[in-house]
Amino acid sequence: MKRILLLIGKDFKRKWKNPVVILGFLLIPLLFTFLFGFIFGSSQEDVLLTVKVFSVDLDDSLVSRLYLSSLTQGELKDMIQIQAVSSEGEARSLLDKGKASALIVIPSEFGEKVWGGESAEITLIKNPSEQFLPQIAEEITKTTSLVFSAILQIFSEEIDRIKELSEQKDVSNQTISDLSIMVKNRMEGIEKYVFPPVISIKQVTQEKDVEVEEVGYPIHSYILPAISIMFILFICNIVFEDMLREKEKGTLLRMTISPLQISEFIWSKILTSALIGILCTLFLVGLGTVLFSIDWGRPGILLIIILTLNILIAGLIAFLYTFIQTERQAGALMSSVIVVMALLGGSMIPISNFPPFVQKISRFTVNYWGLEAFKKNILRDPVSQIWMIVLGMLVMGLLLSVASSFLLKKKLKKGLYR
Amino acid sequence: MSYIFLDIRSDPMLKISHLSKSFGKIQAVDDVSLEVKEGEIFGFLGPNGAGKTTTISMIAGLLNPDSGTIQIDSMNIRNSPQEIRGILGVVPQDMAFYEELTAKENLRFWGQLQGMSSRELDQKILYYLDKIGLKGRENEPLKKYSGGMKRRINLIIGLIHSPRLLLLDEPTIGIDVQTKINILDLIREASNKKTTTVYTTHNLLEAEELCDRIAIMDKGKILALGTLEELIQIVGEKDIALIQGKFSADQAQQILSQEKGIDVINMKDGYMAISLDASKKVPGLMENFFNMGVSVNDISLKQPNLESVFLKLTGKELRE
Repeated sequence: MKRILLLIGKDFKRKWKNPVVILGFLLIPLLFTFLFGFIFGSSQEDVLLTVKVFSVDLDDSLVSRLYLSSLTQGELKDMIQIQAVSSEGEARSLLDKGKASALIVIPSEFGEKVWGGESAEITLIKNPSEQFLPQIAEEITKTTSLVFSAILQIFSEEIDRIKELSEQKDVSNQTISDLSIMVKNRMEGIEKYVFPPVISIKQVTQEKDVEVEEVGYPIHSYILPAISIMFILFICNIVFEDMLREKEKGTLLRMTISPLQISEFIWSKILTSALIGILCTLFLVGLGTVLFSIDWGRPGILLIIILTLNILIAGLIAFLYTFIQTERQAGALMSSVIVVMALLGGSMIPISNFPPFVQKISRFTVNYWGLEAFKKNILRDPVSQIWMIVLGMLVMGLLLSVASSFLLKKKLKKGLYR
Repeated sequence: MSYIFLDIRSDPMLKISHLSKSFGKIQAVDDVSLEVKEGEIFGFLGPNGAGKTTTISMIAGLLNPDSGTIQIDSMNIRNSPQEIRGILGVVPQDMAFYEELTAKENLRFWGQLQGMSSRELDQKILYYLDKIGLKGRENEPLKKYSGGMKRRINLIIGLIHSPRLLLLDEPTIGIDVQTKINILDLIREASNKKTTTVYTTHNLLEAEELCDRIAIMDKGKILALGTLEELIQIVGEKDIALIQGKFSADQAQQILSQEKGIDVINMKDGYMAISLDASKKVPGLMENFFNMGVSVNDISLKQPNLESVFLKLTGKELRE
């Protein structure tokens, strides 16, 4: 045991002195979580995304101003922010710099055409570097245009009357009064069809103790554990890559001609991998709490999940290395295996999106079980459900570790002295 | 080919009896027997593929022999592998250490792995770093060291725990003269402290300079074994002549048959290696070549030394 601890200490010291790769692997999950949270929003917050849109009003008429102001009426004002820009060229240039998600250009004579009952066109230019926000801008613009057209058609008689009056020099009070009554009657006529609105936007904050299916809990609480498991697999893989490097470089040879047993060397790698995995997971959990306010659930159970998950990961990676001969093979094969496991296990896409037969395959990945355990603890599911997963991960991890220690022993001895 | 086996004192540190190892159809080590006494520097000299590394890896317990026995300090390697590993030190050809760690951290790690106490280690580390001229640079990572410095650290790692049997596999490959001198001095010093050294090399000068006894190996067999003086006796007083020119093996044979006292070591079209008294025989030989109308491009003469011994035993030159 003393020699195993010595080897673990040596490996930790080496990783500490050359931390770039591990730090890189730790930053990626945090970055992913931030970006996904930013794009899709965090359901822990009550704020919907605001879409910034530039407007160029070449008409500058009452109608064009009415149209633009209608885009930010009511609840839409929380979703869309219109900023007027003097020329289309300037607006396009700003759009290229990513200053807004879309640009609305209202052509000259827009108001005249609308007054005249002719069809008028508005140009919407979307920012190509953004994916989702310009779509939202397009939908809002389409909907508003539709509503605006409907209103113009409903009040067409009144609008015609206003147009006639505007051409007269003297308009009597009686005429204005008649027009007002006409508008009032029209409003009363359509009121029962318009109010109260059939569809409205409502924001709801999910209560914490309510059970929600799949990704129904805060998005950060799903993304961070999901991506973290994938990158912990990569980090643990580094330790075992190092095992092959030690064989190539001759340090393993030197060790085998010391009192050290080769099985002690293998166990030191399994334990180093598990310990580094545990520390990295704790680091990500800590930062997840601080940066994204993730509530990981019961702390004691969380620690047990982290411990057993990393035992399983270390055992699994060790076992996969029993099929690998060289560092080059490891580089190619392990990356593919980890990415496929992440894909199938829910680290990239929630498994509820997969067809049933793929969901069954997901159960053969470490990502699936790790995510299940994290999710159940976050949602505070009954402890008995978590124990089963945790116990499964522990037993499987230990079995794989023991099997690997036997299989790797023979493999590492072979070709040690060239 | 003649074999020379010399009697040595009883209770050897290393005793190898009828050791054989094959890989498929290749006989890597063929019935090798030898004894090495305590404190002796013993060299395996031979070209690549001679069986030196296979022999040394069996001594280290990394390979199991097909037949034969190895005893180290009177312990059979099969029965007491753990005890034997405790008294072994090894310096492989590769730079077998951790480049991210400092010299001090590396030496401490390898020493602790051998069971050394911290106090003992601290003293030894200081002593050896001073000895190899790296005192003051002990806290620099090894990746910042030059190739020669790394070679020295590689050797010290094998020596730090004062092994009773030190196995060195070509430890001076590709290094400068100063580092080589430094390394050879350290090996001699270890030998003076009763460390037995088994050394593989294909550098003739190094073997001549360092080794108390030398085994010349080729194709898995020991062709000769003894001290430098004893080995030189194999070629006697004769010189070795290497002749290259435009002649066939038959023509060469015909030319040589006209002179007595010349032994053929190796002969093929355009090349011959012969053993002769150069001062007396070369002029006549050249005349014979001339009379036969054969042109000679190059002739080189070698005085009796390890190189000429190797040439006589194997029929080929040993080059680095």
